[in-house]
Amino acid sequence: MSERRPFHRKQPRTWWAQSPYVAYTVRELSGVAVALYGAILLAGLVCLARGPDAFARYRQIVASEASLLIHLLLFVAVVWHVVTWFQTMPKTIPKLILHGRPVPQARLTAASLVFAAVCSVALLAVVVVVGACS
Amino acid sequence: MNDATKKRSIAPVFWLLFGAGGMLSALFGPALILLTGVMLPRGWGVPERFGDYAHVLGFARNPIGKLVILAVIALFFWHGAERLFLTLKDMRAGPLPLLRLATYGVAAVVSLVTLTLLLEIGF
Repeated sequence: MSERRPFHRKQPRTWWAQSPYVAYTVRELSGVAVALYGAILLAGLVCLARGPDAFARYRQIVASEASLLIHLLLFVAVVWHVVTWFQTMPKTIPKLILHGRPVPQARLTAASLVFAAVCSVALLAVVVVVGACS
Repeated sequence: MNDATKKRSIAPVFWLLFGAGGMLSALFGPALILLTGVMLPRGWGVPERFGDYAHVLGFARNPIGKLVILAVIALFFWHGAERLFLTLKDMRAGPLPLLRLATYGVAAVVSLVTLTLLLEIGF
């Protein structure tokens, strides 16, 4: 009679593929795309250490159409990682107070996204300018 | 030893690596993918020789280049490892020690391999 029998709502095993949790799953897996790109770079480093022939084969593979498609998919995933990263960031840091008022989270996200875009564009610009000057 | 010391966990270390990888990839990830995956292999916007063996070897032999390569590969893996681990844990995909080995374990091995290769390539 006194036994505790709490109610457990059933949770399907595929909860992570269902709304609204699928947004969470996609966000987390976009972070895994970052590691997949790291794996491509690691493969390049392994080939580089092995010598010119291995590295030439690596370059051949990276120049293929399939590689271009993979990199474009990774690009989309990582851009989503960037967006969600800066949507989450204001929730993980202490409240930022400017002129006695807390800065809205949406504004922090927007400012960070602009900064991230500037960083990425600057990196590409430096490489392109160095390439053009050399 | 008081209670606070006993409860000390190693989680903040992983959290720090996860955050560093997340921030590095958030700031430079899209540019790096376009650079090494699209522009360098195809010679779009940059001289094609920037992607050849001599140039890449020169970059990997430079101490700052080594640091960049190590930071990008290792931190990107630690970032993915943390996210994959927490997602698989929430999916109840398997026993936690196994999940840790498959995520943090892989990131640790990759970090060591990257460091070893960079030292092997020389200065």
